[in-house]
Amino acid sequence: MPAKKRARSPGFVLRPMFRTGTQVGRSLFLGKPNTILYPYQKLDLPPTYRGKHTLDFKRCIGCSNCVQICPNDCMWMQKLEDPELGKIERPGIDMGRCLFCGFCVEVCPTVAIHETVEFELADRDRSKLVFSPLDLRDDKYADKVVEERLKRKLPLLDLSKCTSCEKCAGECPEMSVAMMPMEGVGRSKPEINLAKCTSCEKCAFACPEKAIVMEDVYESYFEMPEPKFLLMNCTGCGACAKACPADVIYMVEMPGTEKTLKDGKKGKPKKRAVFVLEKCVGCGKCYRTCKFSAIEMAGVRK
Amino acid sequence: MNLFQFCYGLIHWLVDLINNIWYWLGDHLPWWFGNFFTDVGDFARSHAHIAVMAILLEVLIIIIIALINVLNFIWLDRKFMGRMFDFYGPYYVGYRIGGWLQNLADGIKLFVKEIITPAKADRIGFFLGPVIFVGSSFAALVTIPLGWDFYIGTNSGPTVPGVYPGVPASLLIAFMFFAIAPFSILISGWSSNNKYTLIGGMRSAAQMMSYEIPMLLCVASVVLLAGSFSFHGVVAAQHDIWFAIPLFIGFIVFMVCLVAEVEIQPFDLPEAEAELVEGWTTEYCGMRFGLFMMTSYLRGYIGGALAVALFLGGWQGPGFIPDPIWFLTKAYIVFIIVEWMRWSVPRVRVDQILNIGWKRLLPLAMLNLLVAATLKVWGVF
Repeated sequence: MPAKKRARSPGFVLRPMFRTGTQVGRSLFLGKPNTILYPYQKLDLPPTYRGKHTLDFKRCIGCSNCVQICPNDCMWMQKLEDPELGKIERPGIDMGRCLFCGFCVEVCPTVAIHETVEFELADRDRSKLVFSPLDLRDDKYADKVVEERLKRKLPLLDLSKCTSCEKCAGECPEMSVAMMPMEGVGRSKPEINLAKCTSCEKCAFACPEKAIVMEDVYESYFEMPEPKFLLMNCTGCGACAKACPADVIYMVEMPGTEKTLKDGKKGKPKKRAVFVLEKCVGCGKCYRTCKFSAIEMAGVRK
Repeated sequence: MNLFQFCYGLIHWLVDLINNIWYWLGDHLPWWFGNFFTDVGDFARSHAHIAVMAILLEVLIIIIIALINVLNFIWLDRKFMGRMFDFYGPYYVGYRIGGWLQNLADGIKLFVKEIITPAKADRIGFFLGPVIFVGSSFAALVTIPLGWDFYIGTNSGPTVPGVYPGVPASLLIAFMFFAIAPFSILISGWSSNNKYTLIGGMRSAAQMMSYEIPMLLCVASVVLLAGSFSFHGVVAAQHDIWFAIPLFIGFIVFMVCLVAEVEIQPFDLPEAEAELVEGWTTEYCGMRFGLFMMTSYLRGYIGGALAVALFLGGWQGPGFIPDPIWFLTKAYIVFIIVEWMRWSVPRVRVDQILNIGWKRLLPLAMLNLLVAATLKVWGVF
């Protein structure tokens, strides 16, 4: 190790002066100071900056996961009538209470909410800080940003078209499709193990009814709860199927449950809910809608 | 024509202008005023009255020039410091002239603020502190000439060759007034009844012990070479060569002591912002603080002017530039270099300044005096 040079008294003064002198020269002749003149110039913020939210109405499925995860209770679902999308539910945000944690962005199963770099949200009126979904709407923003979350092609089942032909289960090279019997219906449906699936699309090609479709699905950061179905309590009313935002629940008839009417004819058979859990986003809407406690969901507020 | 003659002429012209009307009034008003109008008019025209008014006008002119320069200095300091630390200095107020009006805006703000005296403060001392500080600094300012003809004088200059214009011992008077400030700092620090101000005042006194003697020894060497106690004599002796060249050691020691005298950065122990809140000005607010701050920059200006007059040839320079402008240009350069050092180096500790003063600067100042005496004996000057 070379011996350190000990600075003499003039060195204590001249060395820092040389340092600051070069700094002044650089600042005066080679460029501008580092400061941003704020109201006139704006800082180039990183794209991951957490500012005001935007909402993509076409991506959003209205699952209300964001409203449930919000730690400050500053979001709410608002019912809207859209000329293009029909009757929908979209979240609004109260910026006065928002703490910009970004949980709503992370939890969104379709990545419809994004946080922009806009940070000048201050207002003299507190009510102007409350943004309805229409104020947040920006359908083009989500396509512009590069998302961190990975997309994955997965086979999604449309149970109303399925005929239980078992071709998909026979085709799958990873044995990830298993035919499971549906209780009370008398036929089976394919259940896809998404952990094993390699997105080879063979099941989608094999399906004669085009019931299995390959779709891009975002991988979730969160492990969401899944609904547990109790057949005993189900009355077949179909409220859960209407409430479900992700087309998970199908109402399937149960043959052999028809009542015999007075004139000897047979009535309509009872229905039950069947869950295609591969599509489930874990929002708990079905659990909240069911009045007969036929659905249980651990860890979700009623 | 020197400044006194200019002011005398101006006042004389004004008095004559007013006296025309005044005598006309005395002629046309009723008889019972007696000789009142004539007596007052004659007094106004007398030499004593016009001379006193001319001296007042001279002082006013010098002080206004100094205050404009102080505004410039504060602006220059802030702008320079900003560039040094990579930010813009003052920017918005006076946008087109580089934020120059920021100081005026700050001054107006300080003017409209309330002046609060702490409940347990010694009121007389608390009031006298700024008065002595500002008064002594202005008194030191007005003794310094800006040019051969640009000084505060009481007559139209000597007619005898070998006698310099201005006050005969102006250099001594300037240094006397310049050295009064630590006492006012001690007074205001003591009377504020606050531990930080008290420590600041005591530090100021301790600091004065260490730098005052080497500085006056350097001044003594200059006076020895010049053979005169007046600024005019010292500057006239530097016609051929600046004293900074033969007395190089003395110049360095003088600059270090000057920095300590005007209490800027490496020696700003009384106002150590990191240790004492704002030092001895902690309890002052409003325009009293504004006066302190303005005067500390004014002392920077005086210090630069003293260094220029004693060591850098004063107003000696190319003839086509007027004396005051040449003098002020040098003072600005000295000030900029001092400010450069100010924003570059850290503060010394309170024990280090005594070491620097007594172990380093005092022997160097003695050596410098020896050099000056040798040069004088050899007959170089």
